[in-house]
Amino acid sequence: MRRLRYSYHMQLNFEEPVREHNFKLRCFPSTDARQKISDERIKIYPVHFSNSERDSFGNMCIYGTAKQIHSHFSVDVTGTAEIDINGRITAEPHKSGIFKYETPLTRAGKSIREFHMSLDPMNWMSHYERALYMMHELYDDFTYSPGTTGIATTAEQSFEFRRGVCQDYAHILLALCRLERIPCRYVAGMIPGEGATHAWTEVLDGDIWRPIDPTHNRECGDTYIKFSSGRDAQDCAINQGVFYGGGRQVQEVRVVVSEILP
Amino acid sequence: MALTEEELCSQAGSVNEQLARYGVKFGIYKNGEFHEQLFPFDVIPRVIGHEEFSYLERGLKQRVTALNEFLRDIYSDRKIIADGVIAEEFIYSGSGYIAQCDGVSPPGGIYSHISGIDLVQGKNGSWYVLEDNLRIPSGASYPMIARELCMRSIPGAFTGSSTEDNRNYPELLRHVMDYVNTGGHSVILTPGRFNAAYFEHSYFAERTGARLVTCEDLTVENDKLYFIDYSGKKEQVGAVYRRISDEYLDPVNFNRQSLIGIPHIFDIYRKGNVALINSPGNGAADDKGIYYFVPRMVKYYLGEEPILQNAPTYLPYYDADMSYVLEHFDSLVIKDVAEAGGYGVVFGSKLSSGEKENFKAMLRSEPRRFIAQEVIDFRDIDIYEDGQRVPRKADLRAFVLMSDEPVVWKSGLTRFSRNPDSFIVNSSQGGGFKDTWILSE
Amino acid sequence: MAILSCGNSERLFWLGRYSERVYTGIRTLQAQSGTWSSQAGRTCFDDSNPESLCSSLMRAYDNAIVLRDEIGSETFSYIQMAVYCMNSAKRSPAPLLQLQKVNDNIAAFWGMADDVISDEHVRGIIKLGKRIERVDLYARNNAGNDDIRREVMRLTYRIEKTGLHYSPETLSALNELAEERDINRHEIIRKVESLISFS
Repeated sequence: MRRLRYSYHMQLNFEEPVREHNFKLRCFPSTDARQKISDERIKIYPVHFSNSERDSFGNMCIYGTAKQIHSHFSVDVTGTAEIDINGRITAEPHKSGIFKYETPLTRAGKSIREFHMSLDPMNWMSHYERALYMMHELYDDFTYSPGTTGIATTAEQSFEFRRGVCQDYAHILLALCRLERIPCRYVAGMIPGEGATHAWTEVLDGDIWRPIDPTHNRECGDTYIKFSSGRDAQDCAINQGVFYGGGRQVQEVRVVVSEILP
Repeated sequence: MALTEEELCSQAGSVNEQLARYGVKFGIYKNGEFHEQLFPFDVIPRVIGHEEFSYLERGLKQRVTALNEFLRDIYSDRKIIADGVIAEEFIYSGSGYIAQCDGVSPPGGIYSHISGIDLVQGKNGSWYVLEDNLRIPSGASYPMIARELCMRSIPGAFTGSSTEDNRNYPELLRHVMDYVNTGGHSVILTPGRFNAAYFEHSYFAERTGARLVTCEDLTVENDKLYFIDYSGKKEQVGAVYRRISDEYLDPVNFNRQSLIGIPHIFDIYRKGNVALINSPGNGAADDKGIYYFVPRMVKYYLGEEPILQNAPTYLPYYDADMSYVLEHFDSLVIKDVAEAGGYGVVFGSKLSSGEKENFKAMLRSEPRRFIAQEVIDFRDIDIYEDGQRVPRKADLRAFVLMSDEPVVWKSGLTRFSRNPDSFIVNSSQGGGFKDTWILSE
Repeated sequence: MAILSCGNSERLFWLGRYSERVYTGIRTLQAQSGTWSSQAGRTCFDDSNPESLCSSLMRAYDNAIVLRDEIGSETFSYIQMAVYCMNSAKRSPAPLLQLQKVNDNIAAFWGMADDVISDEHVRGIIKLGKRIERVDLYARNNAGNDDIRREVMRLTYRIEKTGLHYSPETLSALNELAEERDINRHEIIRKVESLISFS
């Protein structure tokens, strides 16, 4: 059991003022079997009205409108998370079928298929063990390289160049698992020391979702705070927005996760 | 019919003139340019006897009830998957399935409020369902206004006849909107004048009294939908008969590149604060691959034998069906499940041997993408062309409206091919239409 | 009372204006001469010229077609028929005869609009568009002072019944201009065109 303090700050700076800004945010850790959230504080600015809901994947969302003219839009979320790695996130397998099939972002093309063909897992391996095995193989054949891919890059595109960031690692592992019809999902969240948000995956093992982190080639420990999960990064989009005006925009993100010592 | 055929046909011109007068048109894009076209009307009605229609009516109600149950199930409990009645791949990898609809209970529990079921009649008289259209089926306005204009142009045709009046469609539609309305006005949402079915949108608005709106007339504030009046006053909206497709409905939740749509309308729909007619995500049940499973759905959900039959269909996804399709390729029609409007349809017999081999290779590499059907020997229907009767292929789109119970509109859109060799009846490909008369006794 | 969107209030207004522009344009052609000149043909039928009568009629049609639910199919049908008549006038050896039918339909459209549209504002906005257009056209086309005065009076009477935002100062300035012995036509046009603003 570990206690973490977290803060997530995101600011959009618009070159030209914007108005009628409609947004939907998914950057709010929720309490589940693995993490207990307390002392949560949320600040969104500017905002005319906002409401919240849980989406179809169970993720906490805040959506709303900033009508007034503005050139910055910011979100601040702080709180405390208590992580219990023995907590079991359970699923109903017959409702998890949707996580077995590829999406546009996790479609396996020629290069992923060839890589998949070259793998040689043992017959006795369970779904979860196969996923771990593929994660190790992917880790060995892929280079962490910020700036080479973007949020719209597909698994296939980043795998062709064997370069990318956490989102790409997660998408490729999902594509590989889905070739074998192993139910698996994308997770967005935070870990200490990154400064930015992080992404990893969960694999269904029997009726339990097990989180693994392909970027670090490991099972997720007690320092992972989850925002959301879904089929791919698009389902977990931290900030979706439409507005008038804006011109060029620059996004600043600052994530701080630190341990609260007893 | 109290009128002789000659009398009827001599008035054909005047009915088409009347249709032109009222702007009964559909839009079509040619080389990227928008054109309005008159929808050619044939004056000889398709007549369906009372008993025959009662049979169709029972079958259509049953089918649409099962389809609604199916939609409810796959967006909640997924029993049909757990029980292995349907291959889940056809649900999750179909283009119409929308994951964000999972767990949403639409107002009134209705998914498909207005369903357009396409039927054909074989030479032996038996009817087959060719397609279920549950997204935004269009076409009811045409026979409705044609009936009205025929009564004006050919008064004799209706004296002493026992034809069901089909001009009650607006009342049926209005009833559906009122039934699911969560509080406030009912509106019809059109993508605008350059939509193929714009005439229908505006005509339904006129006849139902529901306001015709475009996206910019509506706004979401604090989990409610409002219409903005020209004086700036806000009026709450509780039901939207939307004639724009799912992906353009809400740019925040779906296609962010979309220039139309109402931000957050999907969020408040999920909360039950507005009814959307038809419900988003319905496409999961009118996929051509899912069609194969509809008779199974009827048995599974209702415990009844299906009254209406599908055209004999094969899913290359299943090995046995694949071998059958490859072996009997020449006698089958192959359809791409992602296409609509008469596109993506290939008759095996019409391909050259090279094309055939290519197509079979594609079939083997993407079995999920196609269905194959026996070519039905349609019963031709006569149309009146250049002063004489000639036979043409035709289908029937029947409309089923769901509120407290399913109601089948006692008419339908009969579309025919104007080309003597063609099976394609779609208006976008030059087809015409007829009124459909249902006899009341 | 029916609710009306901002877009539709503007379309009703322009439907009124364009129908008037075509109507008065045809009347002017009829009055000018009994003979048909190539100049008249251009004024009327050049669809590449946005000022031509057939272009103006198409603008009226563009607005009418999206107002079917406000004005009704019956009212709409007269604009549709005016378009058909304009097309046959273009092909006719005696265009003025066919143009007469265009105006018959426009007159019927106005009559029908007045008769069947139950919402006072919807009716009022079409009429206001027509009145504003007429003042503008009369001022441009050297109509007599009395004609202009009469039209300004009719416009003034109409404007309150629309629910549209207008400038009362501009309206009284317009009325004062119309009362002058020697009417400043240029100023009349400037004022009448800035009377209404749509948000």
